[in-house]
Amino acid sequence: MRPFALKCKVNGLAIEREIPSSRSLLDFIREDLGLKGTKEGCGEGECGACLVLLDGKAVNSCLMMAVQLHGKELVTIEGLKGRDGGLHALQKTFMEEGAVQCGFCTPGLIIASEALLRRKPDATLEDIKQELTGNLCRCTGYEKVLSAVEKARDNRNA
Amino acid sequence: MPEFIAKPASLKELWKQLPSLPSSRRYLAGGTDLVTADNAGADHSGCWIDIGDLPELRAVKETASSLFIGSAVKISELERSAPVRKWCPVLSAAIPHFASPSLRNMATLGGNAANASPCADGVCALVAEDASVLLALKDARRRLPLKDLFTGPKRTALKRDELILGFEVPKRPHAGAYFKLGPRARFGISKAAVALAAEISGGRVKRAAVALGSVAPVPLYAARTSAWLAGRELSPETAAEAAELIKSEVSPITDARSEAAYRREMCGVLLSRALESAAA
Repeated sequence: MRPFALKCKVNGLAIEREIPSSRSLLDFIREDLGLKGTKEGCGEGECGACLVLLDGKAVNSCLMMAVQLHGKELVTIEGLKGRDGGLHALQKTFMEEGAVQCGFCTPGLIIASEALLRRKPDATLEDIKQELTGNLCRCTGYEKVLSAVEKARDNRNA
Repeated sequence: MPEFIAKPASLKELWKQLPSLPSSRRYLAGGTDLVTADNAGADHSGCWIDIGDLPELRAVKETASSLFIGSAVKISELERSAPVRKWCPVLSAAIPHFASPSLRNMATLGGNAANASPCADGVCALVAEDASVLLALKDARRRLPLKDLFTGPKRTALKRDELILGFEVPKRPHAGAYFKLGPRARFGISKAAVALAAEISGGRVKRAAVALGSVAPVPLYAARTSAWLAGRELSPETAAEAAELIKSEVSPITDARSEAAYRREMCGVLLSRALESAAA
């Protein structure tokens, strides 16, 4: 394994370290950085449990290599915070609306929703449904997830 | 996983590094196909070359007569590109059907073409747009009609180490439609897909190009149906005749996703819907 000198930003912190060049992004996040909020579900881009923000856009970290992070900025679920440093607006509304059951898909759903609301603060219910097509949840039936994202949108725009 | 991933900073550096890289090597663009294959144990290359950030492959450029789309531009970047929306209406119609929003932030048309799956939504649309593909191998450059890049399922005319620089679409105003039938409305692999580009004037088709996904060994350019449509009046009768003709031009198979007879029938249905939407 030849090393690669990776330079990037993770959750606001500049990082420089040597990694094996063939490290997957998900293993880099979970094993090297110890950030366990990002999950591996299917490992083939179907379920969205591994979503992270790369330069502000949601990507499936299970299908990326760590070298693809070079020169870019990564935000994981641990990097999302509210204005007061506490829970993020979406984390609060997911709790309030009961949009979390087992919780395995929740980090991915929140990352996808955050990417949408940053890009489109006035997203409609249809926009939210389209944005979450790549996120599977086997507990909630999605209705509560949709109302949680709508509530976070309304709180943000209030 | 490969032993090694190289990440050249420019095309020049890529050509310089090539001779020193392990001989079983592949290009890594967005990774949505290659890493999936690798995770499933189906890729055995010793080296990947990450071309996803090569500046030469990351641009959309307009010239007087054509639009160049770099092979490593992300699908979601195309979705938000004004020149792409203007000159590539078929591709623009296909994008919402292309995987999921997060995969569109990763995937590229270069990867979609090099992977050469018969179901690739992006290249099927580009074939209907009459795109050419621009290829490079060190100083050698060549250009092919995109439809001629595909030689079989997952097989292309690419030479060893040859790189897809991008695609060129002629700037010709036309209407576009993309109708895909999958297991659900979004984020599914198609059972059949029909891409239609049509120049329409006074209720008549001046020129048409029909391409299909998942119903032949390659993303299929339907030459006979396309030629037949030229000069026809856009009417329900024309749509019905074209729907019959297209069924004789496809060669679908039965597999895990659908059945041959159903796929063939649906090609007709999807084409008549596409013609109807182009007329609207």
